[in-house]
Amino acid sequence: MKENKKIFIYGGIIGLIGAILMKLGNPGNMGICVACFYRDIAGALGLHRAEVVQYIRPEIIGFIFGGLLAAIIGGEFKSRGGSSPIIRFVLAVFLMFGALVFLGCPLRMILRLANGDLNAIFGLLGYILGIYIGIQFLKKGYSLGRSTEQTKTSAYIIPIFSIILLLFLILKPEFIFFSTEGPGSMTAPIFIALILGIVAGFILQRSRICTAGGFRDAMLIKDYHFLWGLLGIFIFNLIGNLIFNFDTFHISFENQPVAHTNQLWNFLGMVLTGICSILLGGCPLRQTILASEGDSDAGITVLGLIVGAAFAHNFQIASSPEGATLNGKIAVIIGLILVILIGNSVVKNAQKDRKEKEEVF
Amino acid sequence: MDDFYCVVTFHTTQGALAFENVFKETSFSIKLMPVPRQISSSCGLSARVSCKEKENILKICKDNELEIDDFHKIVKKKEKSWFLNHIKKTTQDNE
Repeated sequence: MKENKKIFIYGGIIGLIGAILMKLGNPGNMGICVACFYRDIAGALGLHRAEVVQYIRPEIIGFIFGGLLAAIIGGEFKSRGGSSPIIRFVLAVFLMFGALVFLGCPLRMILRLANGDLNAIFGLLGYILGIYIGIQFLKKGYSLGRSTEQTKTSAYIIPIFSIILLLFLILKPEFIFFSTEGPGSMTAPIFIALILGIVAGFILQRSRICTAGGFRDAMLIKDYHFLWGLLGIFIFNLIGNLIFNFDTFHISFENQPVAHTNQLWNFLGMVLTGICSILLGGCPLRQTILASEGDSDAGITVLGLIVGAAFAHNFQIASSPEGATLNGKIAVIIGLILVILIGNSVVKNAQKDRKEKEEVF
Repeated sequence: MDDFYCVVTFHTTQGALAFENVFKETSFSIKLMPVPRQISSSCGLSARVSCKEKENILKICKDNELEIDDFHKIVKKKEKSWFLNHIKKTTQDNE
């Protein structure tokens, strides 16, 4: 019980930070959005040329610094990896497609709900169904294999990547793109965003909050510990919005910032994101924190998210406030088929291995 | 209430589920739960088990080729809050 209260408060701090960052200038209902922020970073690096969504988000850099700091203090900074990296990369790309058709990662889904965006209900239902489907694979024997200790150098790649991003953000070299209009131009002050990101990253590492893990544990082992964290994010973000962002708080489907009302695609986009999150063993937020603690499988996943975001805009997969695009719909359907095939094939191989083992004895 | 309990940790979620499947058929009472914060930063699963049965559980794992990571004894932390400690102390004093 005491532990649940703790994670509820931890989640609450994340929710409050979300509300504050929105107040300080981040786009509507996007105080924090892991998918959108990687998409903005992909744009800033010139990997896609959607001019309205290009910015190096200091919050992401903060998450990585904060997670790294907490991991070092807790003696948990360990170089590990080698668990099916290329499958993780592909799953991350499709996770991002799903998220950008919905317009937000699972964390932003919660923040959207907490500011009255009812479209996110369909996203939430889709996410829960996706997690349920992912669990069926786990039950049948799905596993990407255990990770093993890697050379120390691997562990430093993502933290160094984030330092380079910070230098680009501060020095603004001319090959980096920054939006002058649209969501990419709406930003909280760099220093505050970085500090709040570090605080969030530290808390996320200590608490191990994972949006997918919360629902997975509830469904798979009837344990509600992590779900309390998600509830904390929702409730404190709601309170924070009522205090800081009251003028933007309205409960409706229409006219919500960076959102659309194609409910089928809000739903299916998040089904895809949910399945991928379970098959990857964590949502984009959790993957970012794991990457900061030296998990290079999560590091590959983060790179997959960035590449996925670039494809999503280059191929017109990402939705706009007008709604989902044809390419987006096709990508979600292909994604759903593909990840189910991947899940099935991994399960089959696992069953074959087990059979062969039994025959030996 | 005991001041300690034991958990078995696993390399993969799949390992935990396989463990549960095997032990469902036995008389041991086990329960899957998130890995306690003290031992790992993974968001994976662990199984809460009886500390007294350690040898038997490890033997069943071996017989069934269950791959486990480790067997941990978790000692529950003493109440840290000075306020609660203070209340406890005063009530004890009164008794």
